[in-house]
Amino acid sequence: MLMKYLFAKNDEIPAGSATIFFGFSSIFWFVVGTGLGSFNAAKLAFPDWVTGTELFAFGHMRQVHVLAVILGWISMAFGMTMMYMTPALGNTKLWSEKLGLWTVFMWNVGLSLGLILLWMGITAGREYSDLIWPIDLVVIFGVLLPLGINVWMTIAHRRTQGIYITNWFFGACIFMLMIVFLVGNSPELFNLTGLTEAYLTFWFAHNVLGLWITPVAAAIAYYTIPKLTGNPLYSHRIGHLHFWAIIAFYSTPASHHLMSAPLPEWLKSFASVEGVLILIPAVAFVANILLTMKGKWSMFVENIETKFSITGVLLAIPLNMQGGFQQTRAINWYVHGTGWIVAHAHLALLGMSSFLEAAAVYFGLQSVLRRKLYSLTLANLHYWFFIIGFCIYWISMTIAGLIQGAGKIYEVPYIDVVVAEHPYMIARWAGGTMVFTGNVIWLYNMWMTAREGTIVPAGRYAHELAYER
Amino acid sequence: MAWKFDQPLYCLSDEQEQKETLELWEKEKHGGLWTANNRLPLPLTYLIALIILTAFLVTMPIWGQRPNAAIYEGIVANMDSAEVQRLATGEEKINFLFQQAMATADSRLKGDLERHPLAWDDLLNIAPGIKELQAGGGKYPLDNYNVLGDRISLANFEGNFVEGGFRERKQPWFDKGMGIDMFYVAYFVIVMVLLIKKLPHYSRKPAMNKS
Amino acid sequence: MGFQQYRFGAAAIGLMFGFSMCITLLGPSNDFRSGVSTWVGLDKQLSLGRVIGFSYEDPLVIGDGKPVTVILDKDPKTGATYDPPIRAYVYEPGIKFSPGVNHNELLGPGVMELSLNTGKIGQADMSNGAVFTIAQGEFNGEEVDYIVNQTAVSGWQPGQVLKAAGDENHRYVGKGKTIFITEGCWWCHTLLPEQTQDWQFFGAPPFLGDMNGEMPTAFGSDRKAPDLLHVAARNSSREWMTMHFFNPRLVQPNSIMPRFDYLWGKTDINGKSIDYKKWRSDYTAYVNGQSIYPPEVPEPARDSEVRALMDWVLTSLR
Repeated sequence: MLMKYLFAKNDEIPAGSATIFFGFSSIFWFVVGTGLGSFNAAKLAFPDWVTGTELFAFGHMRQVHVLAVILGWISMAFGMTMMYMTPALGNTKLWSEKLGLWTVFMWNVGLSLGLILLWMGITAGREYSDLIWPIDLVVIFGVLLPLGINVWMTIAHRRTQGIYITNWFFGACIFMLMIVFLVGNSPELFNLTGLTEAYLTFWFAHNVLGLWITPVAAAIAYYTIPKLTGNPLYSHRIGHLHFWAIIAFYSTPASHHLMSAPLPEWLKSFASVEGVLILIPAVAFVANILLTMKGKWSMFVENIETKFSITGVLLAIPLNMQGGFQQTRAINWYVHGTGWIVAHAHLALLGMSSFLEAAAVYFGLQSVLRRKLYSLTLANLHYWFFIIGFCIYWISMTIAGLIQGAGKIYEVPYIDVVVAEHPYMIARWAGGTMVFTGNVIWLYNMWMTAREGTIVPAGRYAHELAYER
Repeated sequence: MAWKFDQPLYCLSDEQEQKETLELWEKEKHGGLWTANNRLPLPLTYLIALIILTAFLVTMPIWGQRPNAAIYEGIVANMDSAEVQRLATGEEKINFLFQQAMATADSRLKGDLERHPLAWDDLLNIAPGIKELQAGGGKYPLDNYNVLGDRISLANFEGNFVEGGFRERKQPWFDKGMGIDMFYVAYFVIVMVLLIKKLPHYSRKPAMNKS
Repeated sequence: MGFQQYRFGAAAIGLMFGFSMCITLLGPSNDFRSGVSTWVGLDKQLSLGRVIGFSYEDPLVIGDGKPVTVILDKDPKTGATYDPPIRAYVYEPGIKFSPGVNHNELLGPGVMELSLNTGKIGQADMSNGAVFTIAQGEFNGEEVDYIVNQTAVSGWQPGQVLKAAGDENHRYVGKGKTIFITEGCWWCHTLLPEQTQDWQFFGAPPFLGDMNGEMPTAFGSDRKAPDLLHVAARNSSREWMTMHFFNPRLVQPNSIMPRFDYLWGKTDINGKSIDYKKWRSDYTAYVNGQSIYPPEVPEPARDSEVRALMDWVLTSLR
């Protein structure tokens, strides 16, 4: 069906097609990504489980999990939300539905190719920018640029005069992500070496998180929460504060990832302060959303999308408290490189960000398909598998990290740390598998929604209707 | 943008601009969404001030200072004393020296010594080096070096520049990064205040809850 | 809020982001440039070649197009003995040089001048190949190490040096690091000791000049296993490593490291094909207590990937 539309006239493509393809692709990649995560965790818990084959070795799978989740699930869910929120917020249609479909197509093809190459071991050897540079160029010019053009043109052709905060974030973040991709991959493109390469690797890793994954997820919440609750966003002012603080403070602290590398000390000092200041956008965002919920807190319990969304917002609180302080010199030496950081990374991506996107994908697919969710029970199952699995993962990895940290400073032989961590590695695998199971349920639920969900009458929202199942 | 000098931070937009903005605001629905014109809640403003203050206080490079070769200064100084010579084994000697050093140490040094035990044989190896560095025999002062087991090695910090064009090999108590931060934060705060004050005053509430 | 203000806003985003990039990218680039290559840095870049990972010369990332490090105990031309033996970095014709040879400023002040004037690296020619060594010299009163192009200085030819050293003295360091990258060893083993206590255990962290010309640095961020930066200084036993790579639980029962037996390839050092199936069933029998001794680990072939990996670990990580 995608193939048919790729070469159709733009006017003949039904509105919302790009959203639907993006939405299902993202859920598919979520299933793949968490499946790989669960598989990898099993290998850490039981090292002799699947063994002796190159392709199924941990070192070949780990980066595929990371990038499938970041570029497949999270970023495609962002693409999906951009495809329906941007036009909705401008009282207009998407600038080009066809370009949107081409973006999905290129994205899936490019990502599959990149991940298969990574899986085979064809890599650039740089964390988070593992993809080889030809694939990086595909991502920048084949995926981000068309996505950006579509979003920017839709914003430019809007039929409102103002631009809502969600669209500021969308427009700005795609632009900044393109710059970050170009600069971050410049060591591969121009063969930059040494500490420059190491620093740019983490400059990229930090900014991908800071200028793409967290702010766009926040932008999504700025849409879903007012839309679902019917309350106006609490404050335009706090929105400004959030937006500008993201650009000012989230783009600067990259070097706090390399506190024990011989980077100039002034850069580390600079980055540490900016790293704590990340709390400013975080506080602004959380306050704005939670104040918007005023009078509608019952929806946190009753409405599945709000439940996902608010969970994500609440997880942003521990996320930023950890993130702000763990990078200071006084704390970093204890937790750096341990499971604590793994827990923190999953709190950001699997906790805060994924919950917000799941809400938007639930809401968006129902709105665009004009069908009510197939089964609330399955959606609730998804939620509880997701949150319980995530908490098991997060808590077990945090404990494992503290064990590793103690082992590190008291010079415990490393093997004793491995032994002490083992129960938490099993817990981690159990937690990850629960999340994966939840996602399989979700994919089924969404598929059945598209096929058999109750049709939503014109002028109504899916969440206003009662469930029939 | 016209400054009102008698009310500099009340609102920077003129009457006409405010009127237009509010009309627009009431008319537009952004696909069924609205943004209310509430002020920055006062607790939030305080919280932000607190964050900025905390950011500087907790990240001062004096916190998380790494121990260096200088923590063994006292031990090296006492290792040849008569009390130590009287003890039979190396283990007894080093235990005695550590107890002696801990008794007079402040809490930071005490913690450092606790986490960095030293064997008597290693002490014998590093002692001449430490004495030489103490006397100014190295390119850098003693606290720019680390003790790794039985050897002394230069620390890898790229710290502030000191006289002679060298970089200090230890964490500074203050450096230009903190200076850039102060400038950066000041600039951010000023820009934010100007920007927020350019928005219509928060007492003007467009009626947006009525659909 | 008129439309004009959004144009202003868009410009402000660019301005703010550009400002932060100036501080975080332009600022430190001056500091990085002043890094003077140390012996470690020169050794790394000469033994690793131009780039590790995906590149024109090695698109499949299997370690093609890399130089060979050889341990020389006598001069291949004059026959004079070296005690201790020296390292020579052999670039056969067509192998791309390490970054510092072509972009001399990467070597840092002092090292660059000496390498160009005394070491004659400017005369190195890729189509003829070259042999480099590291020498020590003085520049403005500072002791520095610099690169010597022995092909130009002493007339050593790549093929001649390789032959004079013999296979047992070849170290496939560049290929070894490629294996380290593709097999994802660095997802668990960092190459950057943490601060303080860690240094006592895992050795000193690198200096600014220790990685000039290295790409990628592969510091790693997630340490599920010991840091490896100085591992060869703690354990330099090739026998131990052979067993540990084949099945880590032969030497460390609690290890969670994967088995890397597949890096042995099809045959062992004598050209005999390796029967993995039998080995595994024998090993299972040993684990279950049915036999007293574990099966013998095959000795890796000369061109096997695991040999290159061990070469890199034992030569580069000191």
